[in-house]
Amino acid sequence: MPTTKTYTEQQLVSLLKTRDNQAFGYLYDHYSGALYTIIVQILSDVELANDVLQEVFINIWRKIDSYDHNKGRLFTWMLNIARNASIDTLRSKTYQNDRKNQPMPGMVDEPMMPGQASHLNIDNIGFRKVLSQLKDDQRILIDLAYFKGYTHEEIATIQQIPLGTVKTRIRNALIQLREFLK
Amino acid sequence: MNIKEYIDSGIVEYVVLGLAKPQDRAEFEQLCITYPELVQAREAFEAKLEDFYIQQTSTIVLPAELRLRFTEAMENSSINQTPTKVFAMENSNRPRRTNWLAVASVILLIACAYFAYQFYSQNETLKKANAELQQKADSTDAILQQIIAEQKVFKDSNVTVVSMEGTKVAPRSSANVYWDSTNSSVFLVVKNMPKLPSDQQYQLWALIDGKPKDLGVFDSEQEKLILKMKGTQKAEAFAITIEKKGGNPSPTLEKMQSLGKTKAPL
Repeated sequence: MPTTKTYTEQQLVSLLKTRDNQAFGYLYDHYSGALYTIIVQILSDVELANDVLQEVFINIWRKIDSYDHNKGRLFTWMLNIARNASIDTLRSKTYQNDRKNQPMPGMVDEPMMPGQASHLNIDNIGFRKVLSQLKDDQRILIDLAYFKGYTHEEIATIQQIPLGTVKTRIRNALIQLREFLK
Repeated sequence: MNIKEYIDSGIVEYVVLGLAKPQDRAEFEQLCITYPELVQAREAFEAKLEDFYIQQTSTIVLPAELRLRFTEAMENSSINQTPTKVFAMENSNRPRRTNWLAVASVILLIACAYFAYQFYSQNETLKKANAELQQKADSTDAILQQIIAEQKVFKDSNVTVVSMEGTKVAPRSSANVYWDSTNSSVFLVVKNMPKLPSDQQYQLWALIDGKPKDLGVFDSEQEKLILKMKGTQKAEAFAITIEKKGGNPSPTLEKMQSLGKTKAPL
């Protein structure tokens, strides 16, 4: 089923903008694993992640015209769609209600989600893997900011540390991440 | 602005990872237009991030059902209020279908018209043929009825047959008169009567008490076997004379062709 044809990013984008089904098939085969990873890492619910992945690809299909290659790569654009959709789901009422009676890990004590996507074993891949190389105080803040979608102000409140400290730690963490990726 | 310092602030990662506030992001995009090195830094981080993700997730196999769901959703995208371009895709199919339908209905219409005309003209032909047959049957029936009626004359025991013998003027003339005295009917069967000029006709007479009574005119050649003449209740004899066309009120006796006496009153 996966398409064997390869495209340059430019070719792919222009085909996607014509709603070329084959190009969307390629997009799915090539990127669904990566997008699924970030969704599962945020939601730690495989079944829900399936639905969100579906929603994400539909949104990519719908919004492809609004993608501007001058502002960033296609993958960056899609990754942000996936991240935003996952955080929206995480914050939705139904999700919160579903979680009510389950043991919820404390934000502060256990920022890393326990038992997430265990059968897919994607705890430690992608951005999450890079995070594991950070110091604990940095990693917690990145986790709250990136995987939970909290603002710096919210993190300062949750962590009971000054906003300035939050900003400094996160910035330093991000600069380190860049180094890790090199 | 020191662009290197700006890059080192971590802004690139903030923006790419979607953590930057809207105003910071807008500023970053604005600066990208002026500073190509900023774009380079951003592209470098994006490429690394993508490579890293793809490399690490390439072994993930998602349920085939998920891909199918997406493919189906794409195909049914018109339901999902997709933008105008999707309608353009649909339109590329629609005219073909419309044309096909139009062609099919025109063909159907022509076929219907052809068959309707065929049935109509066939029906008309049959109606005409039927009418002709009816007419023939009617006339045949009339002729048959006439023949049957004439036949009765010969059979009827009340009918007196009077054989008309040729006179000296016309020795070869001969005819039979069938006279039914009960209903006064007179029939004539021409056996042999010489042809007359077109201005003349034979005239049959009944002789009652020596006086002639006109029983009508006839021609030498007859389509009918039996001619119904005017009736008479009494007759001592019958006579045939040659008269002008249409007959005369009284007979020209010198031109009497044949004469036959009835048996009874003699």
